[in-house]
Amino acid sequence: MREALGADPPGLLERLRAGEPRAFEELVTVYQHRVFGVALRMLGSRAEAEEIAQEVFLRAYRAVADFRGDARLGTWLYGIASRLCLNRLASPDRRVARGDAALADVPASTPDAAAAAERAELDAALRAAIAGLPEDRRLVLVLRDVEGLSYEEIANALDLDPGTVRSRLHRARLQLKEKLERFA
Amino acid sequence: MTCTETRDLFSALADDALTPAERAALDAHLAGCAECRRELAGLLRTVKLVRAIDPERAPAGFVDRVLAAARPEPARKRLARRLLAPWPTLPLGAAALFLVAGLAVLLFRGSPDQRQAARYQPPTPGPAVQAPTPETAPSTGPAAPRETGSSATTAPREVAPAAPPSSREATAPQRSRELEALKNRVEQPAPAERRAETRAEPGSAPRDAAPPAEPPRAMAERQVATPPAVEDGRRAKVDQAQRPPASERFSSAAQDTRADAAKDTAKEGKLRQESPASAPPVGAAGVVPSVAAKSQMVPQIAPLSRTGPMTGVPAAPPDVTAQLRVPDVAAAELSLIELATRVGGRQTGRRIDGGRVVVELAVPRDAYAQFVREATALGAVSIESQATDRPVLAVAVTVSN
Repeated sequence: MREALGADPPGLLERLRAGEPRAFEELVTVYQHRVFGVALRMLGSRAEAEEIAQEVFLRAYRAVADFRGDARLGTWLYGIASRLCLNRLASPDRRVARGDAALADVPASTPDAAAAAERAELDAALRAAIAGLPEDRRLVLVLRDVEGLSYEEIANALDLDPGTVRSRLHRARLQLKEKLERFA
Repeated sequence: MTCTETRDLFSALADDALTPAERAALDAHLAGCAECRRELAGLLRTVKLVRAIDPERAPAGFVDRVLAAARPEPARKRLARRLLAPWPTLPLGAAALFLVAGLAVLLFRGSPDQRQAARYQPPTPGPAVQAPTPETAPSTGPAAPRETGSSATTAPREVAPAAPPSSREATAPQRSRELEALKNRVEQPAPAERRAETRAEPGSAPRDAAPPAEPPRAMAERQVATPPAVEDGRRAKVDQAQRPPASERFSSAAQDTRADAAKDTAKEGKLRQESPASAPPVGAAGVVPSVAAKSQMVPQIAPLSRTGPMTGVPAAPPDVTAQLRVPDVAAAELSLIELATRVGGRQTGRRIDGGRVVVELAVPRDAYAQFVREATALGAVSIESQATDRPVLAVAVTVSN
């Protein structure tokens, strides 16, 4: 799991609002992995994830003047990324088969030489299980257990009630547990 | 608390998100329920597995790509994009319909006159007679000269300023010198080779594949460029398979045959299937210039024009029309020509329209932005444009003060 989101870099929002070019570069540099990460887990394709992640930052770039600052920049970006991913997943252009394959082609980024085979099998099962979750549950699970957001941050990003976040997460985990019974 | 109620809290327990009351109730139930303890252990292992997934990292160069995408476009680039925008979005079907309609009009309007003109073509040669020959070539059809490659498009225009007939005679000696110079230039490398090169250019393949562009181009080629090209042995070899025997080519009747053949072929919609060798671009280097170069040697076959002042069919409009307002028209005219040359283009013509000088230029598309930028330095430029994706743009600039 990624480390907690933490506070925004000091003064970044103000510099972004002032249109400082370096500020946008800093925003992208700081949050690129998070935004790309959630896009990749949701969409399953690196190319598609990069496309969406790029779009997230471009939208943020255009909309930062309207951003009220009542959430952290990171949460805001996760929110944009989540909406764009869900829109993309719902798009009729997207092949239906894609959903099933989502995450299946996400390679393990740290192959462990010692237990490579076992870990690879588990990874494959895990990714397939996550990919098989309904999109709204998958999103909450990814934001919580992969991206490390708190319930409150997820609720903020997705504009949901914290209770809804908790119950979706609960169902997602139960579903995963059933699928991964033999590994757990 | 029931087992079901207890298990509903497991997920929140994993996140340490239970209220103290929930936590107390849960602990109380777990203490006495082994089944729920096993369930909890299973769920916590699952959560641990998911959390063990390594966070992904954005690919290398991602930041730069985002910054590049976010960078505001320079004003001139935006302008160029706006100018170029209409054509790619033009529905292909509409374009095809337009071209087919234009072709039909040309065929039915031009053919009888054309044949008659061919029959009464005077056999006597002479530079003055030949001068109009290359001049008419570029205006053969609305789309014909535009379908050619960068080197090709400009070649015929260079020798073909669309001057009115009256001014044409006055400049005849100068034109002869130009023709002579052109002849020297055109003869090396060989036209056939140059045509081959032209076709080999990256941009030429899609053009050959574009169905709407093919018929008028092929028509124009057959109608205009064929007779002089016949004299060109190198070209004759290339086109041997598609052309009538040499003996026929010198008769005007053969032109009729070809015109009819072309028309029939066009009607059947088969022109596109022809070998490219049978329908090279009209303006391809070596084809039309060879008209100028060779017509002095074999003048009895003068290519015919279907457009221009003599036919009443207007020549193809330029890709870009612009107005340049300057204090000194003559100086600006020279500067424009010099600018076009500097960016890799050239002057293709000059005419007087409504008492104002119109300079016609061929400007490589790549250099168009630079051309516009530098032209702006000459005076007040206003552009009303209809740009295309062709590699060389035909630019008509009206210079006035």
